[in-house]
Amino acid sequence: MNGEVTTSKRGSGLATQLTDLVFLRRIFTHFGIFSAFIGVWEWAGRTGRLNDLIMPAPSAIAEALWRLYVVTGQIYWHFFVTFFEAVVGFFFGGAIGMGLAIAAALSLTFRRYIAPYAVALNVTPGIAVTPIFIAWFGFGWSSKIALAALIVFFPIFVNTLSGLLRTDRDTAELFRSLGASKARTFFKLMIPNAAPMIFAGLKIAMTSALVGAIVAEFASATEGIGILMQRFSHRLDIASSIAVLLSMALMGLFLFIIMEKADRQVVFWKHQDRLDAVSRNRRRRWSGTAAKELART
Amino acid sequence: MIQGNMNDDAIPGLPEEDSPLWTRVLKHSAILFSLLGVWEFLTAFGYADPLLFPRPSAIFSSFVPLYVTRGIVWEHLWVTMSTVLAGFVVGTLLGIFLAVLAGLSETIHRYMKPYVIILEATPRIAIGPLMLAWLGFGFGAKLAIVTLVCFFAPFINTLTAILSANPAQVELMRSLGASKWQTLTKTIVPDAMPMIMAGIRMAMASALGGALVAEFISSNTGMAVLLKNLAAMLNMSSAFATLLSLTVIGYILYAMMEGIERRVIFWQNDAGLRRVSAQRKLHWEARA
Repeated sequence: MNGEVTTSKRGSGLATQLTDLVFLRRIFTHFGIFSAFIGVWEWAGRTGRLNDLIMPAPSAIAEALWRLYVVTGQIYWHFFVTFFEAVVGFFFGGAIGMGLAIAAALSLTFRRYIAPYAVALNVTPGIAVTPIFIAWFGFGWSSKIALAALIVFFPIFVNTLSGLLRTDRDTAELFRSLGASKARTFFKLMIPNAAPMIFAGLKIAMTSALVGAIVAEFASATEGIGILMQRFSHRLDIASSIAVLLSMALMGLFLFIIMEKADRQVVFWKHQDRLDAVSRNRRRRWSGTAAKELART
Repeated sequence: MIQGNMNDDAIPGLPEEDSPLWTRVLKHSAILFSLLGVWEFLTAFGYADPLLFPRPSAIFSSFVPLYVTRGIVWEHLWVTMSTVLAGFVVGTLLGIFLAVLAGLSETIHRYMKPYVIILEATPRIAIGPLMLAWLGFGFGAKLAIVTLVCFFAPFINTLTAILSANPAQVELMRSLGASKWQTLTKTIVPDAMPMIMAGIRMAMASALGGALVAEFISSNTGMAVLLKNLAAMLNMSSAFATLLSLTVIGYILYAMMEGIERRVIFWQNDAGLRRVSAQRKLHWEARA
């Protein structure tokens, strides 16, 4: 495309942003608001205007974070357990959802007869199944994984299905007239065409997988970040409880960023800079092979 | 990164069937009953543990004591539904109100954005135990949890929709001498309505889940408590019956939202558009 635009875009890295006065002023204001907020909160806590049992001061929360992560280090194991449950559940639920969605996209009859069950599953709050899953799978990790899988199923199913159904008729016709096999059409046309929507579903699902794992832990668990938080708040150790909550936010953000990165890798054509990078690579590769063939002849 | 979400949760790609209604009903129920039959026989012949996978007939017959003879479900149902509806109304109104405030001022929006992103990534339900510690074991904590769960989708959708208002339309309103209030109520909000309604629908969908979680962690009445107790007593057939009731409740709420959406954004479906045009025509003719 137009090379100038891309180079100027690539040029606007951190170095140019740091010399940009508007950008600096905004960062400064953000920081100012944040520290003013924390400052007022801390002041209110120190002067006893806040009940320590209800809203601990920021310094107390920071202390709790320090204790959890550095002194005792007990949070890491719980962190890992929940992360594992959410991710494994995400993969199971995602695989089942995508598989059924592919089958439903390819066959109208299957779609028609699976639709009522999918709707029923969607309107049932997945969280309500927790007690039944605990009876089925026990108090360990598997019931949490099952709940996470159940919760991620629907968004992935619906997004994959509507992505696959959006295949352009003319392009499909072109594929057919060029003699592409059904499998070819599926992998080269339908899947890439549906990928942006599938990834939108995966992004929604990832955060809800975490919610599923945490809620199942609330219901019954011995380890995991959800039960850790519940224990702290039952002990009225609100500072530690808020520290755990902040860690959950961090984990949610982390999972979201992973999905965002995966989205940029796979659906590269939807992001201008990634598209440029991939085309540059491909051009290099193709011109390389072209040069080799020239040398051979 | 703040981005609304239309989240169409209907199953796509289902064309109208031209076969008569009764054949469709027959086919669907044939499939349903054969599935139930297989399940019934698997359990009856001992291939599945009847303690964990109760027979469909047992599930359906346990509706009777739940609803009629012992009637234990009503009290729990009432508690859950009042939490759901109260939290939904408070959360949605709060979300839309704050989003309109934030959407009208560029500055507020800019400095609010990082916090919104962080809050969006936090599993909101996880704040439940904290709410419990703050507000105690009563209705307050449950209401707060449902409100929090319902707040976000309408907030973000309203904000996105208002920020993406068509500048040409706004300019037109300005050049026609409309006040700010008129611009807001006559162009920006109607334009944003489909997105806002999608947010409200999502809030409704999550309200029931939020109320159930709140009950799991803090309550001694409510559908979730009933379900938990039944499952803990391994009375699985009644637990399944309760779960099915929740499915029905979820469906009723969903259908209700669809109906409201159809009435509010009437211009997006033919029947509604025709109905409202006819009404307006009558109204104007009467005035003339």
